[in-house]
Amino acid sequence: MSGVSLKGIVKAYGALQVVHGIDLEVQEKEFVVLVGPSGCGKSTTLRMIAGLEEISDGDLTIDGRHVNRVAPKDRDVAMVFQNYALYPHLNVADNIAFGLRIRKESKETIASSVEEVGGILGLTPYLERRPADLSGGQRQRVAMGRAIVRRPKVFLFDEPLSNLDAKLRTQMRAEIKRLHKRLGVTSIYVTHDQVEAMTLADRIVVMHDGRIEQIGSPMELFLNPVNTFVAGFLGSPPMNMVNARIVAGDLGPVAEFGDNKIQLDQVASLQNSVGQDVVLGIRPEFVTVADDTVPHRVSVEVDLIETLGSEALIHASLQGDPFVIRTETVGQMNVLDGISGFTIAPHLIRVFDAKTGVSLPGQAVGQ
Amino acid sequence: MSTDPDFTGPTTENLVFDAAEAQRRRRGSTLVRIGDHLKREWQLYAMLLPTILWLIIFLYKPMYGLQIAFKDYSIFRGVADSPWIGLEHFNTLFNNDQFLRAVKNTVIISFYSLLFGFPMPILLALMFNEVLNQTFKKSAQTIVYLPHFISSVIIAGIVITAFSPSAGIVNTVLGWLGIDSIYFLTKPEWFRPIFVGTGIWQEAGFQSIVYLAAIAGVSPTLYESAVVDGASRWQMMWKITVPSIMPTIIIMLIIRIGNILEVSFEMIILLYQPATYETADVVNTFIYRQGLQGGQYDFAAAAGLFNAVVAFVLVMTANTISKRYSRTSLW
Repeated sequence: MSGVSLKGIVKAYGALQVVHGIDLEVQEKEFVVLVGPSGCGKSTTLRMIAGLEEISDGDLTIDGRHVNRVAPKDRDVAMVFQNYALYPHLNVADNIAFGLRIRKESKETIASSVEEVGGILGLTPYLERRPADLSGGQRQRVAMGRAIVRRPKVFLFDEPLSNLDAKLRTQMRAEIKRLHKRLGVTSIYVTHDQVEAMTLADRIVVMHDGRIEQIGSPMELFLNPVNTFVAGFLGSPPMNMVNARIVAGDLGPVAEFGDNKIQLDQVASLQNSVGQDVVLGIRPEFVTVADDTVPHRVSVEVDLIETLGSEALIHASLQGDPFVIRTETVGQMNVLDGISGFTIAPHLIRVFDAKTGVSLPGQAVGQ
Repeated sequence: MSTDPDFTGPTTENLVFDAAEAQRRRRGSTLVRIGDHLKREWQLYAMLLPTILWLIIFLYKPMYGLQIAFKDYSIFRGVADSPWIGLEHFNTLFNNDQFLRAVKNTVIISFYSLLFGFPMPILLALMFNEVLNQTFKKSAQTIVYLPHFISSVIIAGIVITAFSPSAGIVNTVLGWLGIDSIYFLTKPEWFRPIFVGTGIWQEAGFQSIVYLAAIAGVSPTLYESAVVDGASRWQMMWKITVPSIMPTIIIMLIIRIGNILEVSFEMIILLYQPATYETADVVNTFIYRQGLQGGQYDFAAAAGLFNAVVAFVLVMTANTISKRYSRTSLW
């Protein structure tokens, strides 16, 4: 089993601790994405797995073997770097072959491996070219070729698509996904781009300030974020956060904000929470736009409607705070013209504690 | 187009003409454009000015005097009024045994300096780059840079003292080993090794700065990537560091080859003596003796011009070869 296991992994530079005891089990063949804002410790964690940074405390095992003190080359991992890390003086074939040459593989093995990898990545026509003569996407493919050719137990990706333009990024994202399906190698991928995380990952690890906030499948994290940080980080546009107070209603607890009231009786833990301040997490996609004719709607003031084609983003304000709604446009243009609020199914609202930002228990949304 | 007979506005032809005229005026003459450019960027040119003045005063203006290489020059008649004598000085020069010996010595000394002196700063830089202890690294660097900042006269004094047959450290050590004192600086066969060695001791450290800077410019991820691939420090040095600084090495080599005839002649003057002329006298010291000490300015100018022409050809050739084979060149 070539999984990766992190137990209480700590990274400290002198007195400054940047990664505070991370626990993570990556299963064999799994594609795990570490995501978080800049400085959250995700790259440092990846570099500790690669062996480029010393592990200050905790245990790292790869394929069941304790590797804290094992040199990077003996960990059997391959890493793809953000700026490709290609050798400018070597052509594509030699760049791909570099790792094999270092390991003194036979000439025949090297030649056939380079040919095979070139074929997989569509680099065959460029094998003789130098990196300077390649486009960004091609360079990134060479960088992946260098990782693939060694047939490592684990692939480590450190923001490999950050240097590419948006279109190429989408394309390479799909290629990485296909490659992972084809090769089935355990992969750990670091990015700050939540779209990359959502599309690539079997499981996402959201990190913040050197700690793991939540681990789960993309949909699990999207639907059931454990706190406001995860809720705000995943999804584009991010989840709307509305401050509210729980009051008693005829049928159970009701969230009250301004003149609006939303029935929240399905959240079991709210039954005894009358008077509690909460934050309502409302996904821009989960609301239904409403005009003046709809009763029980939550009123918003519309500032701007961005039409993106099949859908539109409605930038509005709710009690003075920005509130974004994402809605389909087809057959709805008339409604959009007269929009004055929205309705939402109560079970799609996520309720967080206003003080701690933690999701209140008992409100899992099924996928 | 208007067909109205009362239409008094400009015709299409006039409009086209006006547009062209306006564009011409806007574009301005070359002179105007250069003027605009200077007005905009004058600060940069102001910074360039001292260097240009220096070049003109010390390198271009003296070229006027080069003509005395083809003249029977006398300081009383002046440069312009001295009579032309064609290539006579060059004839004399190429029939002068001392000059030919000086050319031979120059080439040999330069060749040794290049052979032993050129790789040394590169090796030093590579070694410094591998030193992990910062305190040791910094003190070692300071120690090897130091000789560069000491005047050649003092360096020569140190060398003369070190190789002195009576009290010099070299002969003292030889004495311990039971070897008789050697009069190093009076022996022609010892001059070149001592001169080349002194040059390396004096300059290798300082020249290594260029290579250290080049090494500092190599992306750290290249090394990280190699570490993950399993490269040893030795492999990284030869497969990453050296190829990465190769353009710098080539540029430095071109410059060095261009200066191959520019043996540091003040050091030779300080170290040589008539007993070692046989191996020590180079073109520049020959020019110095003939021109300044012997007063044969025209003859010395011819020797100097010859030196310059050969150097020019060498640097052009080196640059062309490098451009063709390594895509790296000075211009």
